[in-house]
Amino acid sequence: MGKILELTNVSKSFPYGKGSLPAFEDVSFSVEEGEFVVIVGSSGCGKSTLLRTIHGLLQPSSGVVTYQGRTSQGVNHDFAMVFQSFALLPWLTVIQNVELGLEPKGYSAQERRHKAMFYIDKVGLDGFEEAYPRELSGGMKQRVGLARALAVEPAILLMDEPFSALDALTAASLREEVMELWKDREIPVNTIIMVTHIIEEAVEMADRILIFNGHPGELCMDRPVQLPRPRDRRDRSFSEIVDQVFEAIA
Amino acid sequence: MKGHFKFFWVLLASILLLAGLSQTVFHAIPGSAGPRSPASLSSLPLDTLYSLLRMTAAYLISLLFSLPYGYYAAAKPKVGRILLPLLDILQSIPVLGFFPAAVFFFVALTGGGRFGVEMSCVFLIFTGQAWNMAFGVYESCSTVPRDLTELGHSYGLSRSQLYRRVYLPASVPKLVYNSMMSWAGGWYFLIACEIIAVGPVHYDLPGLGSFLIRTTEQGRIADTFIGLGALVLIIVAMDVAVWRPLTGWSARFRYELAASSLVRKEGRRRHERQRGRVNRRIRLFYGRVFRRRLKHAQNQFWERIVRVRLRSERVARAGRWGWTVLGWATSFLFVLLMGYALYKVALALAQPWPAEARRIPLAMLYSTLRMIVAYVLALSWTIPIAVWAGSSKRIMQIVRPAAQIGASIPATALFPIIVILVINLFGGMNLASVILILTGMQWYLLFNLLSGVESIPQELKEASQSLGLTRWQRFRRLTLPAILPSLITGSITGWGGGWNALIVSEYLNFSHKTYWVPGIGAMLDRATYDLGNITLMVLSLSTMVLVIVLLNHFFWRRLYNLAAERFRLDL
Repeated sequence: MGKILELTNVSKSFPYGKGSLPAFEDVSFSVEEGEFVVIVGSSGCGKSTLLRTIHGLLQPSSGVVTYQGRTSQGVNHDFAMVFQSFALLPWLTVIQNVELGLEPKGYSAQERRHKAMFYIDKVGLDGFEEAYPRELSGGMKQRVGLARALAVEPAILLMDEPFSALDALTAASLREEVMELWKDREIPVNTIIMVTHIIEEAVEMADRILIFNGHPGELCMDRPVQLPRPRDRRDRSFSEIVDQVFEAIA
Repeated sequence: MKGHFKFFWVLLASILLLAGLSQTVFHAIPGSAGPRSPASLSSLPLDTLYSLLRMTAAYLISLLFSLPYGYYAAAKPKVGRILLPLLDILQSIPVLGFFPAAVFFFVALTGGGRFGVEMSCVFLIFTGQAWNMAFGVYESCSTVPRDLTELGHSYGLSRSQLYRRVYLPASVPKLVYNSMMSWAGGWYFLIACEIIAVGPVHYDLPGLGSFLIRTTEQGRIADTFIGLGALVLIIVAMDVAVWRPLTGWSARFRYELAASSLVRKEGRRRHERQRGRVNRRIRLFYGRVFRRRLKHAQNQFWERIVRVRLRSERVARAGRWGWTVLGWATSFLFVLLMGYALYKVALALAQPWPAEARRIPLAMLYSTLRMIVAYVLALSWTIPIAVWAGSSKRIMQIVRPAAQIGASIPATALFPIIVILVINLFGGMNLASVILILTGMQWYLLFNLLSGVESIPQELKEASQSLGLTRWQRFRRLTLPAILPSLITGSITGWGGGWNALIVSEYLNFSHKTYWVPGIGAMLDRATYDLGNITLMVLSLSTMVLVIVLLNHFFWRRLYNLAAERFRLDL
């Protein structure tokens, strides 16, 4: 275990009219290998922008993102992202969608197929390989998104509000499944950074909660969660943490 | 105060009307035009006015046609079953192909002279404008929320009240939008008509189109460019003074749909801010000219048009009768005209078929090949440009306005210059023909592709970046499939534009010399202008229409359905 990712005084602003509009300012934190870090904040505080900056989809306006001791520049292909809207290509089948990220990595067609099948199986979609996204329910779509991200076997899995577009029941079962996949020894992914606005979700899943607040967003609290897993929402200590986080945001 | 402005508007309208009428009557008397030095620079303002009058007349007729047509097609399913397919066919027919027929028809109807040519010109512009507008009205009327019509029924509104309160206002936004497109298309046909009239028909319709062709014929290229400048000026002025205020006004009739995401809402807000800025500038302009009161008067005026209040039940009944009588009269006239046209066609076909008729299939083939070459050329520059523009917002902000400026010049206005360049420098009529077709095709493709590229969701682009797709993989897996539906829509409209351009591009009459290449457009023109053979004209026209309708039905429509099904971007 050790520091895998470090952010030092990272700020991001967008050009707006003649000036610029800051999304977040002066963010510093680090992530240990094997950690499940959840960034919580109200909508519009720049937490999704932060996640994209970590990935390198956006370049920081100032500050440095360090990955494994090296300053990262451009899109970091050791990371993979799960999107809120699933971001599946509607004209590709489930397996083609999952294979998409393996293509640029230079795997042979056979290896691609093999890997894709393995992860489709892991997320519980075996039998749906040849289905098109529009034939699937929201929960199944996000499973494809998850399989696609896991298949590239990223060092860090980034998840941008992965359960926000799902109904409450589907979200709950998919959350459980993500926790199991995280613990699964057959899957190399063990570091996860997730963004959410649902506090209970954060407390249920995180090793550590980073609370993001304000306009522009700032990191206002870094709180480890040491409750034993699996966590029970009706637990008294669970709701205490929820209350603390809620107060920090409100 | 109010009365004052009402007076102003009525005055303005009557002046325009009188000017139009007097000019038309003036030209209705053959030979009364008097000697006018052809295409002198001093006649340019008057030429522009003539062109504008033709456009206005055609537009008003289109408006009168499209409002009831679209409404009945939507509100009466039984009638709609005939009206809609008819509209669909009418829309896919190349309007310019009918110019020879229209000249024949109207000249015969009016007993010869310039009035017949004027009428066929206005008729042609009308056929270029009306279908699109009628479709707009149909779409708006058929998508009126059920709640609103039920509300009307529950409050006991009469049918005409329901029309005025619900259907007419609901039609306004789409009608205004499609009117802008139709008006832009109208310029294309207007210029084409004037060019054809000057050329093969040998009637001098004073106007911008004839000015352009005359000046190029005489080698006064500088004057041609001044004419083009005047055209662009008029187009821009119309946009600023008429279409933008109208668009702003029409926004109030739009049903607000709940925006699904914050981002989209933000985007729309920004758009509205920008529009607000433009509108403020226009208002300032008006304010300077008419001391700012005009805005109020304008609102009052437009509001009154829509909110015609029915004062009593008796008036309402009289009004209903009026509409019914008008409707019947229009339908009767329409049927009469159609009957006359059909009779003429039958008469023409009853004649022995000329030997040239055997060459029609080959001519059709040549023309189709020319279309394909132009299409490939158009694709080969529009797809790269659209993909490039889609790669960043900044590039899009440069490409879109540039394309809008390019497309705002009606391609036909450039014909004289292209012809003089290509024929004189390269000597190839075939090349000139393909280039002319290209000018009628390319903008439809470009604009559809641009909007297709813009509609790709941000998260999909991010996903392809995140997964590290190469540029080629991103094009093949994301961009190309995503723009496929717009590519096909653009191709359908582009081919429509191409068929129109084909008619004026295979047969050209330029400084007393005729240039032509074998093709169906040339066949049609030669049948009419050189040989005067109505049978051949009817035969080639119907061949062309048949091929186009079949092509649309069996090829483009299927392709579109396929693409819409597989490459839809709903997530």
